[in-house]
Amino acid sequence: MSGEFEVLLLDDEPIVGKRLKPALEKLGCEVDVFTDPKEALKRLSEKNFDVVVTDIRMEDVDGLDVLEAVMSKSTTTKVIMITGYAMMELAQQALSKGAFDFIAKPFKPDDLRSVIIKAAEVLGKTDMLKGAVK
Amino acid sequence: MMLFQNCLDKWYNCALKRLKTLLDKKIEKIESQNNLTGDDTSITQRFTVRSHIYMVFVISVILSCAITAALGVTVYLITRDMKYVNLANTYILLSNKAMFHERNFVAGWEDIKESKESIKAFEMVVFERYNDFGNFFDNSRLISNIEKYGRLLDDLTEINTFPPSEQTNAKVVKIRNELHQLSDEISNYGKLFSERTGHTMRKDMFLFKIVFVLATFFLFLFMLFIVHLLIYRVLRTMSRIVQYAKHLSTGQQIKFMPGKVYQDEFSDLASALEQMMKEFDRQQNIISQSHKLRAVGTLTAGVAHELNNPINNITLTAHMLLEDYHDLDEDERLDMIKDLIDEADRSRTIVRNLLDFARESESIMEPIGISDVVTETLKLAGNQLKLNGVHADLTIAPNLPRIHGDRQQLEQVFLNLILNALDVTMKGGQIRIDVERGDEPNFVVVKVADFGNGIPDHILHHIFDPFFTTKSKGKGTGLGLSVSQGIIAKHGGQITVSTKQKRGTTFTVKLPITTIPADIGGNMDSAHGSF
Repeated sequence: MSGEFEVLLLDDEPIVGKRLKPALEKLGCEVDVFTDPKEALKRLSEKNFDVVVTDIRMEDVDGLDVLEAVMSKSTTTKVIMITGYAMMELAQQALSKGAFDFIAKPFKPDDLRSVIIKAAEVLGKTDMLKGAVK
Repeated sequence: MMLFQNCLDKWYNCALKRLKTLLDKKIEKIESQNNLTGDDTSITQRFTVRSHIYMVFVISVILSCAITAALGVTVYLITRDMKYVNLANTYILLSNKAMFHERNFVAGWEDIKESKESIKAFEMVVFERYNDFGNFFDNSRLISNIEKYGRLLDDLTEINTFPPSEQTNAKVVKIRNELHQLSDEISNYGKLFSERTGHTMRKDMFLFKIVFVLATFFLFLFMLFIVHLLIYRVLRTMSRIVQYAKHLSTGQQIKFMPGKVYQDEFSDLASALEQMMKEFDRQQNIISQSHKLRAVGTLTAGVAHELNNPINNITLTAHMLLEDYHDLDEDERLDMIKDLIDEADRSRTIVRNLLDFARESESIMEPIGISDVVTETLKLAGNQLKLNGVHADLTIAPNLPRIHGDRQQLEQVFLNLILNALDVTMKGGQIRIDVERGDEPNFVVVKVADFGNGIPDHILHHIFDPFFTTKSKGKGTGLGLSVSQGIIAKHGGQITVSTKQKRGTTFTVKLPITTIPADIGGNMDSAHGSF
């Protein structure tokens, strides 16, 4: 395993990736950003990530499908779901299927960073992250 | 000459004055007429059916009384005339009989007794009906003549008892001559009496004929009056009302025009009907509006979810801009600010469609492109479709003619059909919307098809009934299709449904195209015709 804390970020909204990539990089993560779930799945099949952040509702492929794909391949990878307000049920479903946590839209970059730090703590990789949460 | 000049001047002045007063009068009259026409209700006079019926009743009473009286009088006159004619006959008969016996007696064939009896009988009748004779001729000498006749007969009888001599013979001849004269006079009276009574009888018969013809004529006029009341005022107006009601039952909104010269009960009925339709329309609008708000409620979930994305983008971008403001170069900052503006616009668009739709507005009938309406509706429902993971397949035929309608109301109809289709479509499924020319010319159709389970036969009859719903309590009002049907009928179109078990349901909305050019069509209102 490399020395980087590797994160895959999947959201069909391009701005989400565009803004969160530098935010997470400041934390010391190496971030792969995808807007197309199919390409993300392809990348996931090639490589194991420490954390996968995925939108739960996308066209074509569902966030839950991504979760299942990740869970079937790697047990260590922590999956963080991004949900909407009105989708608590779906979030509960995701948690029961093994998602690490969920974060509701709209959220601040720090909200995600704190969840990722929490995941790093669980994985015991906090040393890989440099920045403290502002 | 001077006098003539003066006279002419006076005449001229007088004529001028007269002309001026005439003109003033005329102007006053015109002004008062103008005042009258200014008040629109007083143009048509009020003549109610009730007063028409009263008039018919009063006229029929008067007419029948008049006819009865006229006939009674003429019958009385004719009866009286017949009595006179009879009396004239009796007079002639009795006087002839008296003359006959007198001549027989003079000739020596009969006894004087017969002659006397017959003259007595004649005298009795004349005494009895003395006044009646007076109506026809001067009867003052009649009685004296008869009495004189009787006396002459007595004289003759007395002379006959004497022995015949020259003197007695001369007396007899003298008496005979007098008797002849008297009997001529008496029978002349008879002739006169008979002529005059005959004349009166003919006159009264003529009067009777005239009364009869006049009565028939007035009865005929009266019948016309009743026929006018029944056919033109009552029956015809009633059949117009029936037709009007039939039009209304098909949902067409037309104005009822009594089309009458007079204001009457039917005008009142027409205005009451109009009031009722206004109230009905108002109620319909309230139902339609409440149903629309219900649809808005359904759409809100989709909108709220869809709004999350731009708001999230704004939140993230704003926070990162704040965090890294000093580390970013100007281009990056500008890019972020541009993103903020774009995402704010995106939120506005998402909300605006819904707010436009939800806003309560006056019904505006205008020429519109049906494909625009459907496209807008699909945008409105887009978030909801996305939320449910359903794909809408829209096909629009090219060069469709415009229709005349209310954009918002039609959006409500299509939204309702789309949301209904959405309710029976599973996640990942699709609904199909086709906009095309109708099979009938001058119509466009919009088909909204789902691939759900279809509608069972026993429910199919009821789907357009108000408050009929198959959805769970709190989910459907049961007003959607009923309101939609009302709206489409108001546009002169119709909604039909075809369904197949396990294959899906297609709702077809058929709408008439407008033949009014777009630029002037805005001011016209063809769907609200008048009847």
